[in-house]
Amino acid sequence: MFKARMRFSKTDEAAYISHLDLMHCMQRVIARAQLPVWYTEGFNQHIYISIALPLSTGYSGECEFLDFNCTADEIPADAVERMNAVMPRGLSVQEIYPLSDGGQKVREIAYSKFEITWEFDDGVPENFCRDVEELFAREEILILKRSKRGEKEVNIKDLMKGISLEQDTDCVRAYAILGAGNNNLSPEYVTRTITAEYPQYAPDGVSYHHLMTYDTNLNEFR
Amino acid sequence: MLTRKLKRILPRVQKPARYVGGEWGSVIKEKDEVFLRFALCFPDTYEVGMSHLGSRILYGLLNNEPDIWCERVFAPWLDMEEEMRNAGIPLYGLESGDALSEFDMIGFTLQYELSFTNILNMLDLGGVPVYAKDRTGLKHIVVCGGPCAYNPEPLADFVDVFQIGDGEEMMIDFTNLYRRAKQENWSKEKFLREASQIQGLYVPSLYDVTYHEDGTVKAVTPRDGAPAFVQKRIVQDLDNMYFPDTLVVPSTEIVFDRAMVELFRGCPRGCRFCQAGHTYRPLRKKSKEVLLKQAKAILDQSGYEEISLSSLSTSDYSELGELADELLNYCEEKRISLALPSLRADSFSIDLMERVQKVRKSGLTFAAEAGSQRLRDVINKNLTEEDLLNACKIAFEGGWNNVKLYFMMGLPTETNEDFDEMSRLCRSVAYCWRQHTPNRARGVKITASTSCFVPKPQTPFQWDAQATKEELDEKTRYLREVMKTKNVTFRWHDSDASFLEGAFARGDRRMADVLYTAWKSGCKMDGWDACFSLEKWMDAFAACGLDPAFYANRQRPLDEVFPWDHIGCGTSKEHLKREWERSRRAETTPACIDKCAGCGAAGLLKGCGCHV
Repeated sequence: MFKARMRFSKTDEAAYISHLDLMHCMQRVIARAQLPVWYTEGFNQHIYISIALPLSTGYSGECEFLDFNCTADEIPADAVERMNAVMPRGLSVQEIYPLSDGGQKVREIAYSKFEITWEFDDGVPENFCRDVEELFAREEILILKRSKRGEKEVNIKDLMKGISLEQDTDCVRAYAILGAGNNNLSPEYVTRTITAEYPQYAPDGVSYHHLMTYDTNLNEFR
Repeated sequence: MLTRKLKRILPRVQKPARYVGGEWGSVIKEKDEVFLRFALCFPDTYEVGMSHLGSRILYGLLNNEPDIWCERVFAPWLDMEEEMRNAGIPLYGLESGDALSEFDMIGFTLQYELSFTNILNMLDLGGVPVYAKDRTGLKHIVVCGGPCAYNPEPLADFVDVFQIGDGEEMMIDFTNLYRRAKQENWSKEKFLREASQIQGLYVPSLYDVTYHEDGTVKAVTPRDGAPAFVQKRIVQDLDNMYFPDTLVVPSTEIVFDRAMVELFRGCPRGCRFCQAGHTYRPLRKKSKEVLLKQAKAILDQSGYEEISLSSLSTSDYSELGELADELLNYCEEKRISLALPSLRADSFSIDLMERVQKVRKSGLTFAAEAGSQRLRDVINKNLTEEDLLNACKIAFEGGWNNVKLYFMMGLPTETNEDFDEMSRLCRSVAYCWRQHTPNRARGVKITASTSCFVPKPQTPFQWDAQATKEELDEKTRYLREVMKTKNVTFRWHDSDASFLEGAFARGDRRMADVLYTAWKSGCKMDGWDACFSLEKWMDAFAACGLDPAFYANRQRPLDEVFPWDHIGCGTSKEHLKREWERSRRAETTPACIDKCAGCGAAGLLKGCGCHV
């Protein structure tokens, strides 16, 4: 038996599957695909899986990781196809590999890249991009960050590794590299920071899409 | 399917996965390539509706027809409905995202009376007129089936066609007729007249109802060649009946999240309070071989980790032991667990439970229904105290320490003495545990719960008065007093919702106004405690000049014409009457596997012999 990892995406309809439901969903996908996986032992036997840094319900993502234990000598060559043939809409696996093949520890994850889309039904407000770029160019932007241990004032810039904007006709897309894992920064704080500074820029809709996961050296996590 | 409008509101509602579709096993077709678009609606939330086996069967059955696309529609929870109404999003099918108004045919399953307001609300939210008379064309034919269709009258003004009985064959006859109607451009009236000629289909608009001065029904008169009596339709042979080999597997948690196979239809037991026991007759079973094949097919396809062997009385399946053993061989290797609901409290069943639940020991539930032997004889629940204690003994010896006992209160002829007996029975169970448990230190949890009895149409108790709220409150007060026993937790239900259920269960056509008025005043999701308001309902009754007590709390004379007398459930009214009379003498009737009671349902079978 050995540890294995799959990289998958969770988009469209599947974005609304909560973390707990996703676990259940993936266990059933694995059962349908009849992959050789390890089951927990004990009172409630189930397929052992673990998902690294679960996405919030409603977020989509294309660089998600699920770890499991493989009970065969090697991962079946057609494992990806078998999984993808039995997935609910919006979920798909890109790659399955043994952890020994360069797989890092989940705790090495340090950053995530998000695509944030701010929608404006009446067109993007004039100067939106200029003002937002100016805002995030500041040395310090203090925000109240909530965690299990209560609220804390932090400098959001300490948890960001850059942001760039791209304007469309009725939306603006931001690409932001944000702290993940121990220094997690939800991309919602980026939106909140803008609306706190510029209430007039409150968008009509926002969506969050997880693009990439990195380690501390900003190398792509594997 | 996910429009920008929808994406805006989804992040704000609870459990958004219920509203997006895309589940494994859901069926997508090209809408321009199908002839008939069918909306299969469940008038409750996704979690409840997706747990319903019948809907899963019909979904597969309809989509099995290449030119029909059947989609699922559920009632959105209050937060979602509010967001949808604010954003101008109509209720939509989960497969295409298209509004309900785009569908040719709209089907609702009628599982419980308290879901009726949701039917009106869903039609309205989908942009479809709620009254049948306001839907004039061939589009938006509203068809209903299920247990409550055995008294369809309270819904008569809203529904075009009711399917009485098993839907598997009738549904296909019905959609075939619709296909012809659409091709030949029939009027809705012609279509409905033709539909009324198909066995099992009831078209309420073709019947005139007259009333006596006291409000009881005088006569129900058919028009335009509709039959005077609509006998239900049954499937003759369950082995060759359609059963899906694929299931929709929800991507979010639902109430009963497991695969299911149906062992048999009908019930040999004839408990006098039970509507299903009288309306699903005659007994027809599926063979073990077919069940094994179907179970394996849906388990492989779905990836489910649990399968339930469903029926009204699973212990009565003649090959249950062999079936469970063979299924276990398959399931153990795949870590699939087996659920056996509706087991009788007897030693055979508990032995079986022990075999089946080697790892996971869920709680055991025994439906004793009534506290005293006398009252159990009145309701024909053929279960003795000895049976029950024997079952408990084996269960406690086997390590179970969580037993639920289920009772009804408000049964006909019930007195406080029956409650004293109930309390004594619970004490005996607690004593049984002390005597037989291998480990007293672990403690025991015995729960006795009562629900309020609601007399249902097409049962021997259809003549009986439902206990009033005052009576039920008094009974509850007494029970709480006598049920104070160590190790026994007593639970009871509020009677308000049962009262409304009782009024609708035996209601007539005039109830349509009440339903409409109550819905307009905001009643919906009445089955949910958080939503139910008896006050609003009482206002609606008052506004319509009707008294709910007339329907719920009135003892009917044996010769009364009932609003549902022209609907046949297989069991004859004469048999029900005989059973009512026997109940007053506390005389039991044996199970039909032991002795035929001549209920009349065998006449529906070719060859007139029950498959028991």
